[in-house]
Amino acid sequence: MNKQEQFFKEIIERHKGILFKVARVYCPNENDRQDLIQEMMIQIWQSVHKYNDQFKISTWLYRISLNVAISFYRKNTTRVNRFTVLNEQTTEILIEDKAETEQQLNLLEQFISELKELDKALILLYLEDKNHTEIAEILGLSVSNVGTKVGRIKEKLKTRFSQLTP
Amino acid sequence: MNESALKELWKTTNEKLEESLTINRKNTEEITRIKVQGFLSSMKPIKIFTLLVGIIWVGLGAIVLSHIYIYAFSEANKFFLFSATVQIVLTAIALWMYLYQLIKIYEVNSYDPILETQEKLVQLRISTLRSARILLLQLPVWTTFWWNETMLTDWNLFQWIMTLIVTISFTFASVWLFFNIKYENRNKKWFQVIFNGNEWTPLMKSMELLEQVEEYKLKD
Repeated sequence: MNKQEQFFKEIIERHKGILFKVARVYCPNENDRQDLIQEMMIQIWQSVHKYNDQFKISTWLYRISLNVAISFYRKNTTRVNRFTVLNEQTTEILIEDKAETEQQLNLLEQFISELKELDKALILLYLEDKNHTEIAEILGLSVSNVGTKVGRIKEKLKTRFSQLTP
Repeated sequence: MNESALKELWKTTNEKLEESLTINRKNTEEITRIKVQGFLSSMKPIKIFTLLVGIIWVGLGAIVLSHIYIYAFSEANKFFLFSATVQIVLTAIALWMYLYQLIKIYEVNSYDPILETQEKLVQLRISTLRSARILLLQLPVWTTFWWNETMLTDWNLFQWIMTLIVTISFTFASVWLFFNIKYENRNKKWFQVIFNGNEWTPLMKSMELLEQVEEYKLKD
């Protein structure tokens, strides 16, 4: 096994969570999610020889997986259409039936699925507890702009939860 | 729900997710056997086919036309010669633009910041519109291929009027479309009618994404 191969396998094993989380946000359909993860892995393999250690490996992986996911979303509209989010009526039924955590989780997932592609990336990084500097590095925004946008999305999220939770 | 509760909630689902999705070792092995893709191998077969058909069409056209210009210019039908030349030149320009766009897309790095990468990609996809505009400029010459000198002597007024109406309307349509098919008109109804259908979906989606990128940059 050469160095490159070893490095690839190591990063996939250690950081596969990043791939799963990005895929989850952009691809709620489980069957398509495996395809998306595969596409991310191929792109990582194709880029591994260009990895520059001035970046944290997680920053580098988030950039690749988010770029692949956004492009995948754009190319596969038919799949995207199947991601149809739960409507409010369905949500209400779910609220009655499931445990509280599960209900809140559904609301959170519904909220995320309604966001635009770039906002999805932002909320994911925010929920993953990335600091503003790292989010700015991954997205290519200024730190102050990240703060403004995260604040705006948090506000929307709060409103959403207050509207839908009993 | 406060901020930390929200993040906690998110973490619980991550645990479930890791349980339900696994990365198959065999799959990872197989990926490491994929060679770093060159430009041609990164292209879908349909794109290679389109390019080949275009190159053959322009190549054969150029050979035939240069032969006529060099050896048979005086006997040739000038209307045909002019129309065919315009058609071949415009197709060659559109083909070059298409190839250039594909090369540029191939050169985009997926490990660059999201906004930068997505902006480059969508700008390049939207540049497909330029090739479409160039190709549409050919419309009028498809109505003049068959013209010949006997028209000047043998045709009656009705024939002239009908022919000119067709050619003038095609000319007007192609010039109008050339100037109006652009990103700024993406929300107009006629634009959405022309670019309706699965083959144009990635382009329309690219336009939506560009709006988001512009919005993000605007407030930066």
